Amino acid sequence: MIRRALAVASVAWLVLISLGALLAPLLSGTDPIQPVGPPLAAPSAGFGLGTDALGRDLLTRMLFGARFSLASGLLAASLAVGIGGVAGLAAAMHGGWIERAIVWAANAMLAIPGLLLALMLLTAMGPGVTTIVLAVGLGGAPGFARLARAAFLAARQSDFVRASHALGAGPRWVALRHVVPNAGTALLSLATTQFAWAFLGTTTLTFLGLAGNPSLPEWGAMLNEGRLHLIDAPHLALWPGAAITLTILSVQLLGNWITRRQAGADARRAAAQIGS
Amino acid sequence: MVSPSDRPAAGLLTAAGRRALDGLLTAWAAVSVTFFALRLAGGDPVASLLAQGLASSEQADALRHQLGLDLPLLQQYLRFLGGLLRGDLGRSLYTGQPVTRIIGQQIPYTAQLAAAGLFVALALGLVLGLLAAGEDRGRRFPLASGLAGIATALPVAFTGILAILAATRLGQVSVSDPATLRSLGLPALVLGFASAGAVARLMQAGMQETLAAPFMLAARARGLRRGPRLLWHALRPALPPVVSLIAIEAAFLFGGTVVTETVFSRPGLGRLLVGSILQGDFPVAQGLVVLSALVYTLSHVAADTLGLILDPRLRRTE
Repeated sequence: MIRRALAVASVAWLVLISLGALLAPLLSGTDPIQPVGPPLAAPSAGFGLGTDALGRDLLTRMLFGARFSLASGLLAASLAVGIGGVAGLAAAMHGGWIERAIVWAANAMLAIPGLLLALMLLTAMGPGVTTIVLAVGLGGAPGFARLARAAFLAARQSDFVRASHALGAGPRWVALRHVVPNAGTALLSLATTQFAWAFLGTTTLTFLGLAGNPSLPEWGAMLNEGRLHLIDAPHLALWPGAAITLTILSVQLLGNWITRRQAGADARRAAAQIGS
Repeated sequence: MVSPSDRPAAGLLTAAGRRALDGLLTAWAAVSVTFFALRLAGGDPVASLLAQGLASSEQADALRHQLGLDLPLLQQYLRFLGGLLRGDLGRSLYTGQPVTRIIGQQIPYTAQLAAAGLFVALALGLVLGLLAAGEDRGRRFPLASGLAGIATALPVAFTGILAILAATRLGQVSVSDPATLRSLGLPALVLGFASAGAVARLMQAGMQETLAAPFMLAARARGLRRGPRLLWHALRPALPPVVSLIAIEAAFLFGGTVVTETVFSRPGLGRLLVGSILQGDFPVAQGLVVLSALVYTLSHVAADTLGLILDPRLRRTE
């Protein structure tokens, strides 16, 4: 019951911020970068959440911030899932030297923890939002490749794959028809985790001021700005901080819920097969 | 990757030696990845100096020559490895000081913070994990697992800000007083809390697995009391994953210190790294990444060895 309620609340929050991100220009008439009122104004009818140190509308910046934060998290996660997934599939299906090379490369890159790998790439490419997305995406790829390989291997070793092989199916057919769909749910929950990680990574890097553009309406950068006014205007840090936390928490809860549901479905399917 | 085989149980030293060799190879690989990624993606590290007007083009050429950037890539790589073996990581582009000295000055601050953070993470994580596992379902504490979940979701940046805010509201410290804020307590708590969630989860999962194992029933049948049963039979086999997590967390803590040091305006390696990236001080950033890769692999080898001591079953399979 509680789990279900939490899952519903998570979905509601994610839908809310996605809508906010998509409809930001419609929901707010003000510019997220230009000052529109007195600095550090308290929340009022004109400025729903008050204004920041430069007199910019905080609500507008939060809405546009959802755009930047969600988009960079999504892009970085897709990059990691795309590259890692393909590498993991290739390793699991081919075996032999291809698998060894991929596993070795992934392990070598994993010897540097993800955030540090991202920081290393930032060192190479210089600060910037695009660089952050690339860095977090590439930084997450080796870890995802390893997890994806494990998921694909597990699916490959199941009885129906052996049966399909025995019936004379080719490797590509087996990979696309049996292995990928059966690893799908495991991958889906891995991908949600990856998004949570990527979102945390991108907002952390922007929080550190590595976006290179301080006026950017982005939750991590806004949290960093709010840090300077903790005494006189704590809401400047609290809103973006709470938004980041809620998003990560929602994605994690959703991931857990998917995993649990799938475990239940698997058990039911197994029971049905035994019964028939 | 050697597949699990029917090889007979190796001795502790053989198994540990194999891990150490493995670690050495990984460290070399990580250092090489760092070097090539920086060279291939980085373009010209001297360009940022030129762009900022800090060097004339003749000076830039001289600097390139001095850094060996005009050499072929392979030769640069060999020079880099040779320097690394001698403990020479080059000099800062800005101050001209040796990178090893710049890094060495900051190590104590970060080491202190990381050690204190690790202590908090372990203490909090083990307690939460044990509470969440419980011996039977009726005695589980949903609060403990909930808190563990929240700990993994809260970004260090936000918990740090919340902690500062709470501390100033409670009147314990004021932001204008750097002496108290820079003291260790609050940053260590913030840093440790972030890792405590992962420790607790693993602890809980491990304990639940061992609690269900046949040897627990056997121990119960032999009439062992609850205390020894939990501590000796259930806790010990659940520890190796936690120990290897600590190795991962040690590296994560380094990432966490980057943020914690920024939030609390503490000096340290993390701030140095962010600063050198923003400045484009390439040798310093490279040195820091190399250092952390070495620390990371070293802590993995140490954790693996500790795991081998704790759980003899691990010695058998590769």
